Amino acid sequence: MSKRSLIRLVTTLLICAACGYFFIPLSKIRLGLDLRGGVHFELEVQGQEALAADLRDTRDRIQERIQEKAISGVTVKSDTTSIRVDGITEENKTAITKILAAFGGYSVAEQGSTRVLTQKDTYQKALKDDANKRALQIIDNRINQFGVAEPEITPTGAEGNRIIVELPGVGEAERERIKALLSTPGRLEVRFLAKKMPNQIPVKTEAEALAMLGGQLPEGTELFPELEEESTVVTNQMKAAIRAAKPGEKKADNVRQWVLLETKVYYEGSAITDASRGQDQFNTNTVNFTLNREGADANAKLTEIASSENRQFAFLLDRKVISVLHSEQKIIGSGVEIKGNFTQQQADDLALKLKSGSLRASMKFLEEQSMGPSLGADSIKHGITAAVIGFGTIIIFMVLWYKWSGLNAIVALTVNLIVMLGLLGSFQATITLPGIAAFALTLGIAVDANILIFERIREELDNGKSVPGAIQTGFDRVFWTIVDSHVTQLFAALLLFIFGTGPVKGFAVSLTVGVVASLFTSIYVSRFIYDWVLEQHPGTKTLSI
Amino acid sequence: MRMFHKLPHFDFMKWKGVALTISWSIIIICFLLARPWSSHSRVRVGMQFTGGIDMMVRFSIPMEADQIRKALQQGGISDAALVNYTSPAGTEDYSIKVKAKPGQDVKDSTLQIDKIKDVLKQLDPQSKSDPRHDLNTESALALSGKWYDANLLGLKGDEQSQRATYDGWAGKVTEARDIKGSISNYNELPAELPAPLKEMIQKDYRLGHMTVRKIESFSPSISGEWTSKTLRAVFWASVAILFYVMFRFTMSFAVGGIVALLHDILMALGLFVLFGFEFSVPVVASFLILMGYSMADTIVVFDRIRENSHKPEYRRVPISKLINDSINQTLSRTILTSMSVLFVAFCLLVFGGPALRDLSFPIFVGVITGTYSSIYIASPVVVYWDKFFGGKDKLKQHA
Repeated sequence: MSKRSLIRLVTTLLICAACGYFFIPLSKIRLGLDLRGGVHFELEVQGQEALAADLRDTRDRIQERIQEKAISGVTVKSDTTSIRVDGITEENKTAITKILAAFGGYSVAEQGSTRVLTQKDTYQKALKDDANKRALQIIDNRINQFGVAEPEITPTGAEGNRIIVELPGVGEAERERIKALLSTPGRLEVRFLAKKMPNQIPVKTEAEALAMLGGQLPEGTELFPELEEESTVVTNQMKAAIRAAKPGEKKADNVRQWVLLETKVYYEGSAITDASRGQDQFNTNTVNFTLNREGADANAKLTEIASSENRQFAFLLDRKVISVLHSEQKIIGSGVEIKGNFTQQQADDLALKLKSGSLRASMKFLEEQSMGPSLGADSIKHGITAAVIGFGTIIIFMVLWYKWSGLNAIVALTVNLIVMLGLLGSFQATITLPGIAAFALTLGIAVDANILIFERIREELDNGKSVPGAIQTGFDRVFWTIVDSHVTQLFAALLLFIFGTGPVKGFAVSLTVGVVASLFTSIYVSRFIYDWVLEQHPGTKTLSI
Repeated sequence: MRMFHKLPHFDFMKWKGVALTISWSIIIICFLLARPWSSHSRVRVGMQFTGGIDMMVRFSIPMEADQIRKALQQGGISDAALVNYTSPAGTEDYSIKVKAKPGQDVKDSTLQIDKIKDVLKQLDPQSKSDPRHDLNTESALALSGKWYDANLLGLKGDEQSQRATYDGWAGKVTEARDIKGSISNYNELPAELPAPLKEMIQKDYRLGHMTVRKIESFSPSISGEWTSKTLRAVFWASVAILFYVMFRFTMSFAVGGIVALLHDILMALGLFVLFGFEFSVPVVASFLILMGYSMADTIVVFDRIRENSHKPEYRRVPISKLINDSINQTLSRTILTSMSVLFVAFCLLVFGGPALRDLSFPIFVGVITGTYSSIYIASPVVVYWDKFFGGKDKLKQHA
C-alpha cells in the first residue's frame, strides 16, 4: 500500500472511530419528545402584569411614606397605568415632592394639586426583563423540585419573553398539575382584615361588596375575593360546574365571598426560606413555612397586633384570600403554619410554589403538546421500517447496477451513516420523527452523489479513456457538480434550522449533517477506494462498473 | 447495467412550448380545484397555523366515527374534525381537531380538552357499568398516593422513604402501560410487582378502553407567527439559492433554476392539497427539502451545459442544441439519481406511518417534478432568457 493510500485509510478509519465514540452506546443520541413521549409547553411571560404589580407596590410604598411623615389630607390612588397623588397643598408640597422623587423609575407630572406618576419606558423595559429572567429561574426551580428527569427549559422569542419547557416522560395525567404549577405566580401576601369591616355578610360579587360599603372603599383598603374552601365535595361540584359550562365559557373561580383588607402587606412570599406540607392535630393538611429574619419580625408584629386588638389577618395567594386567621398571642420565631383545608396535592403544590419563589407575572400558554410514549414507539417503528426498506433496496440496486463499484458505494454509504450518527451525537442533537425522514432522505442524496460519479466515469470510459484516467477525470469533473448541488441543499437545511423549532429543528440538523457527511464520503472515501483498488491491480484494462 | 446503450438523442427542446403549457396548466387546474381563497377551500391547515386543539385517541373496542361525532355534539362540541387512522388490529385511532375561536384563551382550550376527554371516556361502555377508577388514565402519583395511604406493603421508616418505594412501583406500572399505550389485561402488569399491589390494582381499578395518545393545543395568538415564520423561511431559502446559482453560473441559469423551483413547489402544493393532506410545520420543512433537491437536480444539468459551452464543437451551434445535447448526456444519471431518492420517499410514504406520510408526499412529488422541471422548465427558461437578453456569448463570458 502506498503512503498516500495509507494516510487516507488511516484518516477515514480515525474519523469513523471518532464518530463511533460519539454515538456508541446508541443511547447517547437523544430522542425528541415526539418519539419518546412527554410534555411540551411554550409559555409567554405576561410582562404587563409585572408592570401592574410594580404600580401597586409603588402606590403602597408612597402611601406608607406619607403615613410615616404624618402628612394628612393626601390620597394615593392607582389605575392601570398611573398613580395619582391628590390633595397637595403649599405646606406639604416639598415633603411630597421629596417622597415621590425617591421613585426614580417614574416620571412625575404636575396637575394643580395632583401629581400623576407614570412608568418611564426604560423602567418598563427593565421590569419586563426582570420578570422574564425571574420567570425562567422560577420555572426551573419548580420543575426541578417537582422531580422531572432531564427537563429542558429554554428562553426564546424576540423579546426574550417566551419560555419553552420540555418534559420527557411526563404523562397526560400529570400534565394539568404541572401546567397549574407553571402558570400561576404563587405570590403570597399577609394582610390585615380592615378595621371598619361591616358585618361579614357573604357577598358573591365585587359590585355587591362595593355597594355595601356605600360605593366607595375606605381609605387604605382593598377588596379581595376569598376562595371556597377546597374540600373533596367542592371539587366534585366544581367538576359538575365545568361540565355544565358551555365550551368557550370561562370557568369562574369559586368565590365564597369578597372581603375588605388593608392595603399594607406585612410580609410576602419573598420572606419565605423554606416550605413544606404538614398536618395538624385533626389530620388536615397544612402548609408550614419558615421565614427569614425580616419576615419573622413582621410576623411577630402582625400577631402582636392581632392578639391585642383581636383582629383577623389573611393569607393571600395571587391576590386571592386562601385563609383567614386570628392569633391568640404574639408569635416569636420563624415558623408559620397556614391552614386552609387543602388536599394533599394542593398543599404539596403550594409549598413548592412558596419555596421556589414567586413570579412577577403570570404565564400564558401559547402551545401545549403532550405525547404518549406509545405513539412515539409506533413512529420509531414505522420510520425505521421505512428507512431500512429504502436503504436495503438501494444497496441491492447499486450492486446489481454497478457491480463492484456498487460495493464501493455501499462502503461509502456505511461510512456516511457512521459519520452522520457521529455528528448527531457530537452536537447532542435531538432526533425527531421528521429527523428520521431526513436521515433516510440524505442517504438517498448520498447515493445520488455516487451515481453522479459512476455515470461520469462510465462516460469517460466510453470516450476511450484508460481506467485510471477515467476515474481521475470522472471525480474531477463531478467535484463541482456535487459541491454545487450539496450547497443548495445546505441552504435549505440551514434556513430550516434558523426558522424552525422542535421537530423541524431535528429535521434540519439531520439534513445538514447528512449533506456534510455525503460530501465527505462521495468525494473522499469513494475516490480513495478506487485509487486503492487500482494500486492493487496496476495496468488494469477493465473496471467493474 | 445501463439505462441507454447508446447516447440518446431526444429533441427535448422541440417540445418545450407544449411541456411548459401542460405543466403550468396542471398547476392552474390544481389551484382552481383547491380554491384556497374561498371559504369552501380544500386546503387543510394544521392547528399550529390556526390555533386549536389536536388530539389523538385510541379505543381498544370497535368505535364508529359517527358515534364519536354524535357524542361530541351532545357535549357541545360541534365543529370537531375527525380522522380515523390505521391502527393495529382490534383498536381504533382517531384524530380529533377543534379549531380555536378568535380570542379564545388557554383556559378555554383546557376546558375544551377536559370536556372532550370526558365525552370520550363516557363512550367507553365500561365507564357506566364499572364505577372503579380507570388504570389506563391514572397518574403514577395518584396510584402511589393510594398505596401509601393504605401502606399496602406494611413499610416502616419515615414518610419520604415509604413514598419513594411506592412511587417507584407506581412508575413501573405506568411505564409498562405507556409503552404499550394501554393495559388490556391484568397479566400485563410488571411481573415483579409485589403481590399486594397487584391485588389492589385488580380490585380497585378497571382497565378502560380509551387512551389519549397525544394532545396538542395552540393558542390562536401565535398561529399567525408560524405562518409568517414559514413563509420567511421559504423566501430566504429561494433568495439564497438564487444568489448562489448566480455566483456559480450566470443570471439566466439563476432565473431558470428559480422558475423551475417555483414550478416544483406549486405543483407539489397543488397536489398536496388535492390529495387532502394537511399542512403542518414538518410539512413545510419537507417543502424546503424539496426546494433544495429540485435545485440540486437542476444543477446537474446546468453544470453539463456550462461544461459543453466551453467545448469548441458547440461554439457555432444554437443554444437549444447545446442544451439538448447536455440533457441527453446527463439523462441516465438524472433518471437514476431521481429514482434513488424517489424510492426512499416512496418507502417513507408507504411504510412510514401516518406522521411521515404527510411529510414525504411533497418530497415524493417534488422528486418527480424536480427531474422533469430541470429538463422542461429550467432549461427552456435559459433558452428564452438568452434569446431575449443577448444570447449565449454572455453565458460563455461568465462560465
